[in-house]
Amino acid sequence: MKVTAWKLLVFHFLAFVLTALPCAVAAQNNDTEEPNVQTSAPEGTLEKLTLTQAFMCEKVENNTPINQAAVFSVSVGQVCCFTSFDPVPQPTLIYHKWYHSDDPSTQIRLRLYPPLWSTYSQIQLRETDKGPWRVEVIDQNGKVFDVIRFSITD
Amino acid sequence: MRDLLAFLMSIRWQDLVDILFNSYILFRIYVLFQGTNAFRVLVGVTSLWILQEVAASMGLILTSWVLRGITAAAAIIIIVVFRNEIRSALQARNLKNFLWGSPNQEHATPVEIIAESAYQMGRKRVGALMVVPGSEDFSEIVHGGIPWNGSLSQEMLLSIFWPKNPVHDGAIIVQNNRVTEVGVLLPLSQRMDLPTFYGTRHRAAAGLAERTDALVVVVSEERGRVTVAKDQTIKPVAQPEELVQILNEHLNVFDLSAQQKKRERLRLTLAAVVSLIIVTGIWFGFTRSRDTFIALNVPIEYVNRPAPLEILNTSVDEVRLQLYGSSALIRSLQPGQVQVRINLGKASEGHNTLPLTQENIVLPPGVFLNKVEPAAVEVMLDIPITKQLPVQVQWVGRLPENLLLKEVKVVPDTVQVIGGSKILENVHTIYTSPVRLNNLTKSGSFTATLVLTPASLKLSAASPERVTISYVIEERRPIDRRTNLNLRQDYACIDRGHRSKPAQEISLAGLFWLDHRLTARPHAEDARL
Repeated sequence: MKVTAWKLLVFHFLAFVLTALPCAVAAQNNDTEEPNVQTSAPEGTLEKLTLTQAFMCEKVENNTPINQAAVFSVSVGQVCCFTSFDPVPQPTLIYHKWYHSDDPSTQIRLRLYPPLWSTYSQIQLRETDKGPWRVEVIDQNGKVFDVIRFSITD
Repeated sequence: MRDLLAFLMSIRWQDLVDILFNSYILFRIYVLFQGTNAFRVLVGVTSLWILQEVAASMGLILTSWVLRGITAAAAIIIIVVFRNEIRSALQARNLKNFLWGSPNQEHATPVEIIAESAYQMGRKRVGALMVVPGSEDFSEIVHGGIPWNGSLSQEMLLSIFWPKNPVHDGAIIVQNNRVTEVGVLLPLSQRMDLPTFYGTRHRAAAGLAERTDALVVVVSEERGRVTVAKDQTIKPVAQPEELVQILNEHLNVFDLSAQQKKRERLRLTLAAVVSLIIVTGIWFGFTRSRDTFIALNVPIEYVNRPAPLEILNTSVDEVRLQLYGSSALIRSLQPGQVQVRINLGKASEGHNTLPLTQENIVLPPGVFLNKVEPAAVEVMLDIPITKQLPVQVQWVGRLPENLLLKEVKVVPDTVQVIGGSKILENVHTIYTSPVRLNNLTKSGSFTATLVLTPASLKLSAASPERVTISYVIEERRPIDRRTNLNLRQDYACIDRGHRSKPAQEISLAGLFWLDHRLTARPHAEDARL
């Protein structure tokens, strides 16, 4: 009887180690490394990811957009696209697609976290960047939230 | 011998037709105009032209220049001065005669009927005035004629000049075997040396004869005498046979002897041979020499384009043709004579490569193609569609350092554009013409035109060509920490531990910890960097 109980104890310990530990490690990894980013909204979710603000600015200092504008001098050195979402129902990815005169220039992937989130992308400016630009704010499915148009000048 | 055979083999049937046809034209010109003043002047002008060419080839600058001027002037003078003769020669009284017969053989006018009628009317004291035209046209000298166009007969002539006939007072015009006009009023002669017994009828006959080469037969009403007016002479004719002879001479009708006929035939044969030699020489000079090359840029014509498709783009608009032929033909090439046509009948939507071959190139006879560049043409065909496109301002220049262009609004913010579907696939924005920032100091608005690129794009009728641009300019303000704090409430916030918290909750927790989490690593993800 004692032997049987001891065996049961060992069996339960091993079962716990083999099942619970990997889950704990996975949970730990999720918590520290990457958010659990879902590619689509779960069924029954009423809230929709909503863009509340999108504009261009010269820079972001202390997480604050500085000098919102529609035209930027190339001498500024950089330009940022600042976007705010509210609500953010679940962790998700969005993209800032930058176009120079209708030609794709770059695409920047950004992560959003519930319940609301602000994020920005930026590019460094060069002399050849002068001209009309636009940034498309899109989700993973290609849905366009907004298109921000601006110009880089002398 | 082999060269001769090769040469003969190279002659096409078209070349033979070409030579024979032009030889015949030259021969007919000789036959129709021989003996006329115009022909003599034409021979003179041709001689002048030959002289001018010889002078030019010998390098006689002034002589060739003067002869060229005289030849050009003489060519115009011939047409003006001898217009009546030319018209008479070319007037197709009878198409067969014009194309085949000889003016000398035209003896359709029944001169015996005219002579018999004249003397019969003389015996009955019926006055008459009959005009037999020569080679000159006198329609501008006479007037008042009534078209008749009746077959010539003795009875008809008697009835026309019967005193109670309303048209008996005027003259009749006899052409071939027909009375073409009656009641014609002739110009009166102003000569003072005419016999006093000549009345108005005789003066009219003399008046027309003086001015033209026509012959006029007059029958006196009072004396019954028959008189003939020709050139400056007016003389009575006693016998009908004499009148027949005069009329025949006037109409160039002779009873040729067998030897004369043979001589006439020989003359015409010689003229035909000379015409053939001249034209063959000219033809060889024009076409057989292939010593001159020329390069031409010729625009391409696209034909038979399929109905729904439009030409969006072509690799070239014109091709370079290298042609050769005789120097005379090459020198006289006109722009419209060389054409490059590409048939788009079998072309399809999208990119088409169409080779340029001899079939695509239309050249005048005697000019040949040596080379064509490029050897093929790329043609892009597309279906025209309409697309709604946003409008964006194309700013240039620079604002003053202390100013920021905060907002821009364009009205209308979209326009409808018509263009090929393939082109519009890659067009996402319509830009305005460049707008300078340098002069902007405060908010305002203005209008600007739209720039459609590529040029094949068009605005639809509903879209304006200009848009209104409203803009807001503000002065730059120094960054205020407190302002930042106020701003922060607008943005989504989480703390550094990636754990999300509602903005309100964070606000309650204290603004000091409020942080705009920048989840993206923008520099790392910017593919341009």
